[in-house]
Amino acid sequence: MKWIENAPRHLFFTGKGGVGKTSLAAATAVFLADRGKRVLLVSTDPASNLDDVLGVALGRDPTPVPGVDGLSALNIDPEAAALAYRERVVGPVRDLLPADTVAGMEEQLSGACTVEVAAFDEFTMLLGEDGAAAAFDHVVFDTAPTGHTLRLLRLPAAWSDFLDTNERGATCLGPASGLKMQHERYAAAVRALSDRDRTLLVLVTRPEAGALGEAARSSGELAETGLRNQHLVINGLFEAADRSDPLAVALEQGGRQALDDMPEVLRSVSSTRIPLRGENIVGLEAVRRLLAREDGSSSSAPAPAAGEVLSLPANTASLASLVDELAERGHGLVMVMGKGGVGKTSVAAALAVELASRGVSVHLTTTDPAAHVADVVGASEGPLRMTRIDPEEEVAAYRAKVMARAGQDLDADGRALLEEDLRSPCTEEVAVFHAFSKVVSGARRELVIMDTAPTGHTLLLLDAAGSYHREIMRNVGDREGAITTPLMRLRDADYTKVLLVTLAETTPVLEAMALAEDLRRAGIEPWGWVVNNSLAAAGPTDPLLRSRAVEEVAQIRRVAEDLTQRTFVVPRLGEEPRGATGLRAMIDPPTRAMTQVA
Amino acid sequence: MSVMVLRVYDKPMCCSTGVCGSDVDPALVRFSADLDWLARQGVSVERYNPAQEPRAFVTNPVVRRALQERGDRCLPLVLWGDEIVSAGEYPDRTVLARTAGLSPVATVETGGAA
Repeated sequence: MKWIENAPRHLFFTGKGGVGKTSLAAATAVFLADRGKRVLLVSTDPASNLDDVLGVALGRDPTPVPGVDGLSALNIDPEAAALAYRERVVGPVRDLLPADTVAGMEEQLSGACTVEVAAFDEFTMLLGEDGAAAAFDHVVFDTAPTGHTLRLLRLPAAWSDFLDTNERGATCLGPASGLKMQHERYAAAVRALSDRDRTLLVLVTRPEAGALGEAARSSGELAETGLRNQHLVINGLFEAADRSDPLAVALEQGGRQALDDMPEVLRSVSSTRIPLRGENIVGLEAVRRLLAREDGSSSSAPAPAAGEVLSLPANTASLASLVDELAERGHGLVMVMGKGGVGKTSVAAALAVELASRGVSVHLTTTDPAAHVADVVGASEGPLRMTRIDPEEEVAAYRAKVMARAGQDLDADGRALLEEDLRSPCTEEVAVFHAFSKVVSGARRELVIMDTAPTGHTLLLLDAAGSYHREIMRNVGDREGAITTPLMRLRDADYTKVLLVTLAETTPVLEAMALAEDLRRAGIEPWGWVVNNSLAAAGPTDPLLRSRAVEEVAQIRRVAEDLTQRTFVVPRLGEEPRGATGLRAMIDPPTRAMTQVA
Repeated sequence: MSVMVLRVYDKPMCCSTGVCGSDVDPALVRFSADLDWLARQGVSVERYNPAQEPRAFVTNPVVRRALQERGDRCLPLVLWGDEIVSAGEYPDRTVLARTAGLSPVATVETGGAA
């Protein structure tokens, strides 16, 4: 526990979704506060569930956490940050300018670009010595899943560089024009992040190849940006108590194997191991237990009565029936969405592989900068095409396209100016959105299965679709029906089927419900839910796994009875599903999977 | 008398070349290049975007009156001192040069100025 006892001022928790970042960040903050420190816990995840974990409603300003002296917490909500930013700009002139001008300003200040800039602005404020964090000894950041966080942690340097090199007074600061004044603050943020006496990066992982791989990637990429002071936490180590339970033995072996194969770059990082708990980490008592020293009684959830039958609600189905339905249509868009770590990529890949094996042409694609569908699928069989939206490639392509089209009539100076503008970090949002739109309209002719980036990132994409839609509509005016925007296709239930993936645990279900609400606000109704990695569907006999499975059944019932018309349950497999055979095991009805094991 | 300034009051937009928008408008890109050229000829140029500096639209009486009378349609509004050069459209390089009292310019396509 040295890493906590010697903790510097800033602690960043990062890792693949679902590895327990929020639980560990909360446990660390409570641990420090219980030892007399004044601690500020900050969530930078647009889809944060810190409120649920701590049992307190959080906002933009530090809120004291009841039950923990010295601990306050806040949520950087990008939408709320953007709203506040917009009001700062528009408020003073709202009554002085014509209504249409004010409306235009608000529209310009509601795009993805503003959302990102405003959230980033609040984030750097917390790294400074003044501002909301000044009164605290420690600031603990619970960050969004990897891709988003990498971007957030790199932005200070990106904007700093852009402002440094843009000598002509940078035209494309866009909504970030206010940033010019903040240049010194960003430079200070970069210094704070790269100072090992001030900042520790905590890489959280599970004993699984995928999560370890992502931790290794983050470790390397963040070390490059200067965050070299790192610690690794391996969360959820499992030992089978019932050696006759094949799933339990397979999970234990899988964990050991993954740690044996740990990527080289992580071996030099100091590490801590935390055993798997039989309970969900919700509420202060569970949060405190997570980092309590080992005393042999780690599992505190009530043990299920012997012989209790684990049965799934009747109105749930396996993925096989979903595949039947998709195969029948043969075209359209399936968007697989959910919080990071719930297995979106596996679910998307399993559907695509199964469909292709039945001879249906499928385009499997991902918008997740950190996803590697090709690695998951391996050698593909049948008519399966795999692509990905790579932000770097998209930005390069977008820049080239704009230079060719808008830059063709310009002289050398004009082209240099345009090139400068195109180096703005804003360009990435636009370029990725263009690529996303292209895939969306491609589903007119083919069946597209889209593995989306973790929630926050995807919501930004949908937000971009919304502002694009409004801008187009304003330009097109009364020629209604003349044009179809990506948002219109996403809202068309005949065209787009949104699948929400979750785990059968309290927090992930709450997160999926929040996501469903966000989608409804954008006019998109989720079509079905997939409960992935279900222990209840796999029917374990090991006591720890069984106690988790019993807790799962209540969650699955809640999904199937209250939240959706279509619930598909995927059993937990002994190993991470990889390759065509592994993925197709996810499709099999749970009962068949169980008898195969036994 | 103080130095004359060319002031441009844009429509609300994300950025002045429009590279962040739903579609890049070549006219806007060209206008940005023309302003850049004008500035390099020694002319003082200032450019305001209501989404970034809304106060500028309120404090300048000429702009404020134009907005009150004609609404959003008067944007983009280009002023030379207190004179309106153009309203609702982007003037080309020739107009800009003439306004600022510069000698006639070669067209953009052939590159540099005379």
